[in-house]
Amino acid sequence: MGNAKQNKQSQKNGDSAKAKRDRRQKREEYRAAMKQEGVAELPRKKFYRQRAHANPFSDHRLVYPPHPDMMDWSVLYPDYAVDEPKEDTPAPAQESSEQSVQEGQQETSPESQSQSIVSLNPRKLSKQVEVADIGCGFGGLLVALAPLMPDTLILGLEIRVSVTQFVEDRIKALRLKHKDTQAYRNVGVLRANTMKFLPNFFHKGQLTKIFICFPDPHFKARKHKQRIVSTTLNSEYAYVMRPGGVVYTITDVLDLHEWMVQHFTAHPSFERVSEEEVENDPCVGVMKTETEEGKKVERNKGNKYVALFRRLPDPEW
Amino acid sequence: MAAVDVPYHLVKACRGIIFAARGSDIHSFNSSFEHISTWKYPSAKGETQSEAQSSPAPEGPPAKRRKLEEGEEPASNGREASSANVNGQGKPKGWQDSNPALETPWIQGLYITSDGHHVVAITNSDKTIWVFEHDGAGNLKQLSQRPMPKRPCALAIMPDDRVLLSADKFGDVYALPLTPSDHLPIPSQHTLISRSVTPGTPSTTGGSTPIPRLKADETVVHTKRNLKALENQKKAALERKQPIAQDNRPQFEHALLLGHVSMLTAICVAQATSPVDGKTRTYILTGDRDEHIRVSRGALAQAHVIEGFCMGHEEFVSRLCMVKPASGQGNDVLVSGGGDDDLYSWDLVHNKLVGKAPLLPRVQEVVGEEANKLAVTRIVAQKDEKGSWVWVICERVPALFRYQLQEDSTLRHSETIKIPGNPLDVAILGTSSSTRLLVAMEPSEQGFSSLLVVEKASEGETDWKQTPVPNLPEGSAPGGVKIGAEELRKILYTTESLRKLTDFD
Ligand SMILES: C[S@@+](CC[C@H](N)C(=O)[O-])C[C@H]1O[C@@H](n2cnc3c(N)ncnc32)[C@H](O)[C@@H]1O
Repeated sequence: MGNAKQNKQSQKNGDSAKAKRDRRQKREEYRAAMKQEGVAELPRKKFYRQRAHANPFSDHRLVYPPHPDMMDWSVLYPDYAVDEPKEDTPAPAQESSEQSVQEGQQETSPESQSQSIVSLNPRKLSKQVEVADIGCGFGGLLVALAPLMPDTLILGLEIRVSVTQFVEDRIKALRLKHKDTQAYRNVGVLRANTMKFLPNFFHKGQLTKIFICFPDPHFKARKHKQRIVSTTLNSEYAYVMRPGGVVYTITDVLDLHEWMVQHFTAHPSFERVSEEEVENDPCVGVMKTETEEGKKVERNKGNKYVALFRRLPDPEW
Repeated sequence: MAAVDVPYHLVKACRGIIFAARGSDIHSFNSSFEHISTWKYPSAKGETQSEAQSSPAPEGPPAKRRKLEEGEEPASNGREASSANVNGQGKPKGWQDSNPALETPWIQGLYITSDGHHVVAITNSDKTIWVFEHDGAGNLKQLSQRPMPKRPCALAIMPDDRVLLSADKFGDVYALPLTPSDHLPIPSQHTLISRSVTPGTPSTTGGSTPIPRLKADETVVHTKRNLKALENQKKAALERKQPIAQDNRPQFEHALLLGHVSMLTAICVAQATSPVDGKTRTYILTGDRDEHIRVSRGALAQAHVIEGFCMGHEEFVSRLCMVKPASGQGNDVLVSGGGDDDLYSWDLVHNKLVGKAPLLPRVQEVVGEEANKLAVTRIVAQKDEKGSWVWVICERVPALFRYQLQEDSTLRHSETIKIPGNPLDVAILGTSSSTRLLVAMEPSEQGFSSLLVVEKASEGETDWKQTPVPNLPEGSAPGGVKIGAEELRKILYTTESLRKLTDFD
């Protein structure tokens, strides 16, 4: 599908096809260089751009554990492993694929991770992930949160392959650069479609904070079903969250803000956090200023709408 | 192309009465296969074809046949085009409106309440749920016809026989009162908002029509993409001059209970007793194409609370079945199957996998070693004094697989019964001392009966007697209406197409 389209375009314009090829080659060389051990240079975004949308309903080529117990978190947070690496126990990772390969980019997960995050016998960590940034984009929030919560494991989840790879390389470089202080060992990133597979990664009640920052607005009514917040999906956010935990949302789109407020307040497992508490929460400021989208909105002098929701305890039944 | 008779493709039995669906019709028989009644899907031309009492007008928008909206279903993965053709939906290649076998939507699911007083059917392409009153003697009276917002894939009936749960292709589960005169036992503030419905206030009975407004305004625009969206919105608003907002919510009482971002394939209601507090609770189990089995609270006002997931499947889930332990002691065991090589059994209360029973080797014994995958189409529980059993059939595999539930809640294969055609559905006719099953099969071009009785007459016998149901009476016997054999298979066999493509190697 994607290939056919591309070919047609190439025929129309031989020059641009060559330019595209060159660009791709550059990108590949660059990314290969980034993979080498000991590269402390921060990755450059222009080599990781990817089309803005990935359909959350498609299968993609995702890798995810069939059960959260089969997730080997030590791949992301090796410094927190409490046992020795085990004999390689190949486990049946879920794999699925989409036929179309877009823009010549392999739709596979970042190579450095894909084959090893799933294990029948994963290494144990001294802590578990408690903070998730859903649709983390280029990782600005993760990088800002890492030093603020040095004792908490923070995870970014992103559906786009190249963008995930960027964040992975970014974290790698930061860890290297801050070798002496051991900073950034507590952040990681995973390629995942969070609209479908949160329960594959997280246990019930595992998370204390979920960030949903500047999610794709999907303006058209016909596309609203793709929105990352909805009452039915909020049940899954509630499931992976501990009572008392907080969902942080921010957007520059008023309509989307109202939609998120409507869908979270309509869900009996959540209540809106008061104005006052919002103001006093240090994470709110970070979310406003440190996300890539937040910065963009700042430059354009746009509005930022913030809403926080607390996970309520489940009623007796 | 070879043509065959439209076969019975769904069978259900209840207290000596057999209901069997063939195309768009539902027939009933007594246990000696004497024909009792026929319900025919109302003809579009308005002529009365129904032997049943005249049907009340549908509540809600008229069932309209329309093309699949682009991107309507969450599972639109490019292959959906083929699997969407379930029961004549989406007009498969070679669809002929003139083919009388496909003029009306086929029955896709058939259910009976536990008290036997009601029969419920879903027809696929018009997304409609039909409820019939059953007089206990095989006669059906149509009570309601409710077109749902999205295509129902499976139904469950709450233990009190008052509420229907409809699981749809979009991933949502709706509760409906079984009989429309009844009401849902859910306060309206406890129903969720559908992400598939145009904005408005949540309500259980439909509500005011909201007026759309521009969703992007200049101050928020910061990308090319957003700018374009804003432009388009303005253009669209200009073009239609006045606001139009269609509220596509059904006009009958219904409540959104929960939803997956995946196509739902199975739903089941279970009761289990907690070992902690000794309390017996009701659970709603939902299975989807993305390998998940979700366990939600079955207290309807709390169905938004996910108690857990039964995680472990690596391919789509297509069937869920609660199986009683042979001893009668302890909780029922959840058995699930789908595109995996094994059947899974689960401890529901703890969401724990108890065991996997190999099914693929059993399938290979029937169809050959080359078979490297399977798709479970039915899991049916049966209990007698010798034990608790599970009958399983798979798509395009001409056999019945019988497993026995062990004391430790695992399953063990007990036997495979080869049958002369591919099974479409199976119903337990008699339990107690003798085992008697009714199997609906794909018809052959040789024209053998598509209904087969499989039974073990007496305890001592080891062989299963297979008897085709002979000479079905006038009006219920296949005949006249033919369908191409290949076309029929396309309509009947849609489970394997749930599988995701893997082209890693
Ligand atoms: C507009 S960006 C915001 C990025 C980042 N949070 C920020 O504020 O800078 C939204 C991101 O969500 C990602 N996304 C969308 N749907 C997703 C899904 N189902 N699972 C994971 N990520 C998703 C997109 O790929 C995109 O990178």
